[in-house]
Amino acid sequence: MITVQSLTKVYGAHRAVDDVSFTAQSGRVTGFLGPNGAGKTTTMRAMVGLTPPTSGTVTIGGLPYADIPNPGRHVGVLLDASAQHNGRTGREVLTIGARTMGLPDSRVEEMLDLVSLSGDEGKRRVRDYSLGMRQRLGVAHALLGDPSVLILDEPANGLDPAGIRWMRSLLKSYADRGGTVLLSSHLLHEVEQIADEMILIGRGKIVAQGDRKSLLSGGAASALVTSEDNERLAKALADAGIATSAAGEGLRADCDPAAVGRAALTAGVVLTDLRTGSAGLEDLFLSLTADTQREGHPSAATDQGDRA
Amino acid sequence: MSTTAPAPTALDVSATPPVPFGRLVSVELRKALDTRAGRWFTGSILALCLVVVVIYALAAPTESQSLGQIAGVAGGVLGYFLPVLVILMLTSEWSQRTGLVTFTLEPRRPRVIGAKLVAALLLGIGLIVVALVIAVLGNLIGGGDWSVEARVLINGAVVANLIAILTGFAIGMLLMNTPAAIVTYFIYTLVLPTAVGVLSALQDWFDKLAPWIEFNTAQQPLFMGDYRLEGQEWAQFVTAGLIWLVLPFVLGLMRLLRAEPK
Repeated sequence: MITVQSLTKVYGAHRAVDDVSFTAQSGRVTGFLGPNGAGKTTTMRAMVGLTPPTSGTVTIGGLPYADIPNPGRHVGVLLDASAQHNGRTGREVLTIGARTMGLPDSRVEEMLDLVSLSGDEGKRRVRDYSLGMRQRLGVAHALLGDPSVLILDEPANGLDPAGIRWMRSLLKSYADRGGTVLLSSHLLHEVEQIADEMILIGRGKIVAQGDRKSLLSGGAASALVTSEDNERLAKALADAGIATSAAGEGLRADCDPAAVGRAALTAGVVLTDLRTGSAGLEDLFLSLTADTQREGHPSAATDQGDRA
Repeated sequence: MSTTAPAPTALDVSATPPVPFGRLVSVELRKALDTRAGRWFTGSILALCLVVVVIYALAAPTESQSLGQIAGVAGGVLGYFLPVLVILMLTSEWSQRTGLVTFTLEPRRPRVIGAKLVAALLLGIGLIVVALVIAVLGNLIGGGDWSVEARVLINGAVVANLIAILTGFAIGMLLMNTPAAIVTYFIYTLVLPTAVGVLSALQDWFDKLAPWIEFNTAQQPLFMGDYRLEGQEWAQFVTAGLIWLVLPFVLGLMRLLRAEPK
């Protein structure tokens, strides 16, 4: 279990992390989400003692990181997959880690197998690794000491779709066995499928946290609909007291999809597409961090035209 | 996976001893030699040492052929490049960003730095032994006598190399950047003594001042005359050593202990 309490890190006039508090429970995958530069990495670095906080504390399983003996055996850390010596082979990188932690060299082969870097790939130098391979090596390094807590910064970065799926099942089963997993990402869809709990951070501050359901429960019902006669449908909906607006090729109705279906049935309009238009987690994510986003919030994120 | 273990909230660290210091030292030694750069550089130093010794054995006049003198040559070549190897041990943690892992696996940074220093000294001793073996080979080729002036051997092979290792260590800690540290080291050991020599030749007052403020100059009595420091030479050695070795070492140590590995 990771407990972050009132963590603040100030660089000059810049508050990189501003009074951040949260808990990552054991047996769960906690997603740490935020746009680039939101303070995710600084928070994770503070967890493992690389960045001294300006104020606040972090404990892992009740202990400050510096008080954990042989920490690699308890906490697996991947902060930056590219931070490895280019002149070492993947196997050598793991061997150094294993030797430091006092593990047998056989553990290195196990880990290389686990992340599918076996055979020749393990003998290649990190210089010649793709970003995806570096991520696999970094995950292998984090898992070397069979830790009960995992702290992974952007572990899916650079992985191909199969790799992301592999990572997902790996972390999921890890948490199912009682481990604590904290992983960060700036891409929501990487996280929302595996995270039991999500922490959203923007400009150093936590803007929302909770599980997927509780994060979404705040949104008003909405449906996106396309029919053979949108005008008649809009009128039928208006008669039922439901407001609509144009959205892409169809309409957005301020009600749940069932109400639209009922109105269409009554009016005898053929629907070609009907689905929930309630703000997805992505919209929530973007709107929560809207004032912290560099690009601003694309207001039409749920418009039909933008959705495949 | 199916058996849901009770989720522990506290870490049980009672069965985990801290990483022993000896293990840190052996890992640092391994790291110094397990990269292409480290291995090639070490190999190149020894190869260069061999080449210089063989040339000396073949070309030097008979009266200059003895084990002691040839060992001084081998030790000199080694002492010249050994600091670069030591610099790499420190700066690669930052230039190659491996410090992120190193200082996470052992968050007590003074232990890591201590392990690096011990590893650097062990590496230095190992290379000195190989250099002495090369010197013996050279003396066989040159056919010189086997006399060894103990003081020359100690000054040339041990003291000079110890200073070289510590100098490299200090520069590496202080600059945390491979190219900058290597350039600085060669300026310190090549350009600085030359500049001081020129200035000393031109200005009499500077000639008197130089041994006090320039460490290379202050070390010269170790390799000349009766190979020992006496009276004022000791004072000069200590003063210049404080400026060029102790001060950078302390500043570097402070910087390294505080730096945030990025």
